[in-house]
Amino acid sequence: MRKKSLTKTMNPSVLFLINYAVPIIFIILIAFAIPLSGLSGLYFIRELMIRLSRNSFLILALLIPVMAGMGMNFSIVLGAMAGEIGLIFITDWQIVGISGMLLAILISTPIAVLLGYFAGIVLNRAKGREMVTGFMLAFFMNGIYQLFVLFGMGNIIPISNSSILLPRGYGIRNTINLLGIRQVLDKLIPLKIGDILIPVATFLVIATLCVFITWFRKTKLGQDMRTVGQDNEVARVSGINVENTRVLSIVISTVLACYGQILFLQNIGTMNTYQSHEQVGVFAIAALLVGGASVAKANIPNVFIGVILFHTMFVVAPRAGKALMGQAQLGEYFRVFVSYGVIAFSLALYAWRKRVEKENERKKIMNYRKSILAK
Amino acid sequence: MRKQIIIRTALVTALILIGIFLYVIGKEHKVVIDNRDISIGDITYSASTTYVVWVDNQEIGVIKKGERNAAIVTGVSHKIVVEEIKSNVLTGEKHEKRFRLKTNESATVNIPAIINNANEWIDKTN
Repeated sequence: MRKKSLTKTMNPSVLFLINYAVPIIFIILIAFAIPLSGLSGLYFIRELMIRLSRNSFLILALLIPVMAGMGMNFSIVLGAMAGEIGLIFITDWQIVGISGMLLAILISTPIAVLLGYFAGIVLNRAKGREMVTGFMLAFFMNGIYQLFVLFGMGNIIPISNSSILLPRGYGIRNTINLLGIRQVLDKLIPLKIGDILIPVATFLVIATLCVFITWFRKTKLGQDMRTVGQDNEVARVSGINVENTRVLSIVISTVLACYGQILFLQNIGTMNTYQSHEQVGVFAIAALLVGGASVAKANIPNVFIGVILFHTMFVVAPRAGKALMGQAQLGEYFRVFVSYGVIAFSLALYAWRKRVEKENERKKIMNYRKSILAK
Repeated sequence: MRKQIIIRTALVTALILIGIFLYVIGKEHKVVIDNRDISIGDITYSASTTYVVWVDNQEIGVIKKGERNAAIVTGVSHKIVVEEIKSNVLTGEKHEKRFRLKTNESATVNIPAIINNANEWIDKTN
């Protein structure tokens, strides 16, 4: 009996299950976890609203490199670091409110552009292995960031605010209080429905980014990125500067990630100087993959579906773990396991599909050759 | 090429100017409000009663005779309003002063000096 490839099957429901395996698994998990958690609907909606406003921008930053065929940009961590440097400066200078946030954006933009450019050049030298390179690059830059913040600030770069300096006189403390800009954007246009605070201004910023991404896809550069994403050689023959286009996609993504991190931290109100950026890439990518995106294809609905599903898991997992096994920590371990597992599963699924597609292509060519020879 | 350089230079200059503007309007300053006796030249202004103080329309609180309080203000231009309290009742007699602070400046405001319209009611320090 001939074995039939899953991707060859024309059954649309099987194809749907393959394409949306990750979100389907998540929906099933959440469907079990929500009743177990015993959380009230109001609490749940409030938490989800906060997390939507806090995380969406960062995840949207991942879309442009996917368009350019560079997969999930693990190097958004570099952008997050740039954003944090901006926040350290405004905290030192005691600039507060919306002006403080805007100044942090202004300071961190050139840093993010430089880091993005550097990441783009490195990733161009690692074509086909962009994701793992980006992941390692984030670790490398984390070391540079720590050197800069731990030894450079207060030594080379003057820091006058002693409350953010380590007692030895140089280096920034582990935690910085961002009280001056805490939720300034979230509460800029206050809207309260019942007990739920809707951060209208933050959602407007996110909506603007969605409009920008939609518009950007239609521009010459956007079209070039899509061409590069489909086939580098075809793009090169068409006269597109492939390397430059790829670098630009990473620069844009890094700058957006920098803004996303500032938005994220203004919502939280405290900054863990040496750790806030570390998990940014993994969690943003996991959320996007949970939303139904793949390494080769991601769109705006994937972002929002991903945030809702992934962060619902964040909210309910500890409580469900406690209800099931008497320990909240077990639920938390489970959530972390699922976060990393979902990335591994998506990448494996993508690699498997690619392999099957290649195999099918090869078989098609072989059959075509056979039919020509038979004639 | 020359046009491109000019545009880029203008853009960078504009961003720097915006940065300076944001720095100035977002900078925090500490304003200490004293309800204590003060000697300015040969004249001594004595603190005699309790006041309620507002800085930039935000109530700082009640400052009793001989006490001080502090306010954190943002930006350049500020307004301080003090109102006397007698027998736990606001008298309705308000004294208002406006002041400007440069970046890196903090100030000490003396209520008896404000009440007596003294010129040196504010002491600005870097």
